[in-house]
Amino acid sequence: MDDYKFLFKVVLVGNAGVGKTCLVRRFTQGLFPPGQGATIGVDFMIKTVEVGNEKVKLQIWDTAGQERFRSITQSYYRSAHALILVYDISCQPTFDCLPDWLREIEEYASSKVLRVLVGNKIDREDREIPTHVGEEFAERHNMYFLETSAKESDNVERLFMQIAEDLMKQARTRDLPRYDSNAQSINGRTSTIGDSSCCSKLQ
Amino acid sequence: MDQLPTEFDVIIVGTGIVESVVSAAASRVGKRVLHIDRSDYYGGQWASFSLESISKLHEEQIERKNIINSSHIEHSGISEFVELGNKLFDIKNIECTWHVQSKTDTEQSKESTEMNDSDLIQNLVPNEEQHTQETVTWTKEALLKESRKFNIDLVPKLQYARGDFVELLISSNIARYSEFRSVSRVLTWLNEHLEVVPCSRSDVFSNNKVSVIEKRMLMKLLTSLEDVEKDLSGCKDKTYHNYLKEKKLTPNLIHYVLYAISMSDNNTLCEQGIKQTRRFLGSLGRFGKTPFLFSMYGSGEMPQAFCRLSAVFGGIYALGQPMKGLTISENKFKCLLVNDQKLTAEHLVLNLEHAPKQFVDLKKLEYISRCVLITDRSVMSSEKEHLTLLLYPPENDKNSVIMIELGTLTGTCPKDLYLVHMTTRQKTNPKEDFLHIINNIFNINHKDTESEKPKVLWVCYFSLPDFLSSDVKQNVPDNVFLGTGPDIDSDYDFSVKQAKEIFSKMYPEEEFLPRAPDPEEIVIEAEDEEIEDKDMADKQTDQKDEATDGEVKQKAETKDTETKQKAKTQDTETLENVEKKQVDH
Ligand SMILES: Cc1cc2nc3c(=O)[nH]c(=O)nc-3n(C[C@H](O)[C@H](O)[C@H](O)COP(=O)(O)OP(=O)(O)OC[C@H]3O[C@@H](n4cnc5c(N)ncnc54)[C@H](O)[C@@H]3O)c2cc1C
Ligand SMILES: Nc1nc2c(ncn2[C@@H]2O[C@H](COP(=O)(O)OP(=O)(O)O)[C@@H](O)[C@H]2O)c(=O)[nH]1
Ligand SMILES: [Mg+2]
Repeated sequence: MDDYKFLFKVVLVGNAGVGKTCLVRRFTQGLFPPGQGATIGVDFMIKTVEVGNEKVKLQIWDTAGQERFRSITQSYYRSAHALILVYDISCQPTFDCLPDWLREIEEYASSKVLRVLVGNKIDREDREIPTHVGEEFAERHNMYFLETSAKESDNVERLFMQIAEDLMKQARTRDLPRYDSNAQSINGRTSTIGDSSCCSKLQ
Repeated sequence: MDQLPTEFDVIIVGTGIVESVVSAAASRVGKRVLHIDRSDYYGGQWASFSLESISKLHEEQIERKNIINSSHIEHSGISEFVELGNKLFDIKNIECTWHVQSKTDTEQSKESTEMNDSDLIQNLVPNEEQHTQETVTWTKEALLKESRKFNIDLVPKLQYARGDFVELLISSNIARYSEFRSVSRVLTWLNEHLEVVPCSRSDVFSNNKVSVIEKRMLMKLLTSLEDVEKDLSGCKDKTYHNYLKEKKLTPNLIHYVLYAISMSDNNTLCEQGIKQTRRFLGSLGRFGKTPFLFSMYGSGEMPQAFCRLSAVFGGIYALGQPMKGLTISENKFKCLLVNDQKLTAEHLVLNLEHAPKQFVDLKKLEYISRCVLITDRSVMSSEKEHLTLLLYPPENDKNSVIMIELGTLTGTCPKDLYLVHMTTRQKTNPKEDFLHIINNIFNINHKDTESEKPKVLWVCYFSLPDFLSSDVKQNVPDNVFLGTGPDIDSDYDFSVKQAKEIFSKMYPEEEFLPRAPDPEEIVIEAEDEEIEDKDMADKQTDQKDEATDGEVKQKAETKDTETKQKAKTQDTETLENVEKKQVDH
């Protein structure tokens, strides 16, 4: 059953409406929800993938709509291993906001977090941001870059798989952000730990 | 940015712990919630700050209040307009000073970054000789470079492992948003020394400062106090101190039980003292060696955890919103004026700090004295990093002090440094209230270069209003509720109580924070699309019956609890394995 070896926390940020929720649901559930993507009560999605011969569990966190008025909690960024910054290739303002997002990431996320820039909605005819512009931005800011379509399922699998692969590679070379040098509590539900030096999750 | 929607069931102003718990509870049962704050950070007077931003706290507070005063609104005919905000509950006596070498300055410099109202701090510190070889010398620049690694609580809290707050986190499933560390030792100041307080049975036996006879005495006492059925009639009208004396305990044991375990003082009444002792004993053995938990990255994470849940259940969040005021008619709140919008709701919840002056009748306002230190080593050095609670007894004319020392493993301070929080009931002002402790335990002016005491690199004093001891009457319209600010108690139980009261007044019929489903328990309909992912389809087969109608929330709840628990246990176990495997790598 759930015999995975690694659990990674991936968080998505970017302006409202760029397709974050759709990307998550496309990847975890294989569907493109018509209408409003957000579902009440859904916190994060989980999908187990295979990298090499290892099972890797991705815990993918969505913003819960708090990005709409730029009010994401700091704690959302805590303990993230990878961070996906999304814009909409057919909407210039969502690209123009990227520096603001980077500032927020700089402030709250671990400096070691794997960062990926994603231009979503490539199925749309009315593109406003040419691919090379996104690419250059990503390069300047030391991020991976991919263009996707949650609607047509373009590059979505690849996005998350590459993140999983990269994080695995980092984990093997011990380059993974460590959030707890003793407890190794890579988020998720760690049970009560007797040793007082460890951190406990209360479940 | 979008315009805010304008119609809600409840608007909540302020993101302190009380408001955040109310927000989560209301969203959780399907109410339309707008949660809004004037500041662009979460937590209000409960927030945690970076080193840089806490130094600017004073300026920020002034700036915010000026905005209030400069707004002008015309009064409309029928309804009454009231301005939001008051200065009654401001943080006072803010004063932060550096005690490090400045990069450009080879001499010891004491540099004041923040001035207390009017009285400027004198640069009285005499020039000092250079640091001796020994450890790293921290500079102001080096500390500020790490600014972001600090999470400095205004109101540091320790949770009793079986207290109401922890139980609420678990029962509501909000615990998944936070991680905790348990306090690893409890210290006290006894006979001019720091001593480890024996907390648990094993502590009592391994403590070599306590004689065998004392061990038996202490065990007997603790066991008898633990017994809830025990008759407390011998306890009427006397202080806990006297009660313990009558038990013929040695002075040291009295000290441990009175000042540390029960966090009492000489005037604490017996019943109260016993209650507090039980609270301590009752929380032993759940997580770690002591009864206390501290939230990773600081106490400011706690309001945010509740806000996240509120958002997940549809609550709308807007921080950094300039609010002008609200209108009232027929003793009812009508609408809140934000930017140029009029927002309406059935109920309004306001933090007292944001409340209009008219709503507050202040009979008596007590303050909490706070002191935060950055130091270069622990108060009691040891091989592994400790999370220390130090209970300093009342001394001469000073009140007892609660000290929490945090290392880098708590996510609140950089490597090789310690963050020390001190809290006490204010007597005169924070600087005086803590002076004796600073002198006894710390090396603040670095005069004594041989000293083993922790060097203070930075210190910040301030005073917070204490809502637990103050007498604040609320004169509010029927559909307005005020959330209180900080309190002196060590945990959030007082705040949870407040939040529950507000919630049940607004929604007497509704359940308070029922358990939120785990992601694994949530079934999402395919919405006319086929499920392409085979794994998902497999996972969902056993839940098919329930998956046909209704919303996620209900479905997840209809699932029988037994399966849920089974699933959870498995998950937990696997996760433990993951940890082990990753350590091996
Ligand atoms: C969303 C995503 C998209 C990717 N797209 C590609 C791709 O199109 N082509 C490709 O070759 N690899 C891509 N990668 C990276 C891929 O998974 C490997 O990590 C990469 O090929 C490096 O392997 P390496 O062993 O040669 O280098 P390593 O020695 O493992 O790389 C060292 C470090 O360099 C950085 N790095 C490597 N490649 C890049 C890059 N393309 N952009 C920014 N930083 C980088 C990483 O931080 C990495 O840890 C992508 C990764 C992600 C997460
Ligand atoms: N054409 C197209 N529309 C998309 C794509 N992804 C999302 N959308 C649409 O964009 C809107 C917002 O998507 P959502 O996932 O809710 O965005 P979020 O606010 O970032 O979570 C919805 O109407 C989606 O249908 C895509 O790849 N292509
Ligand atoms: Mg969304």
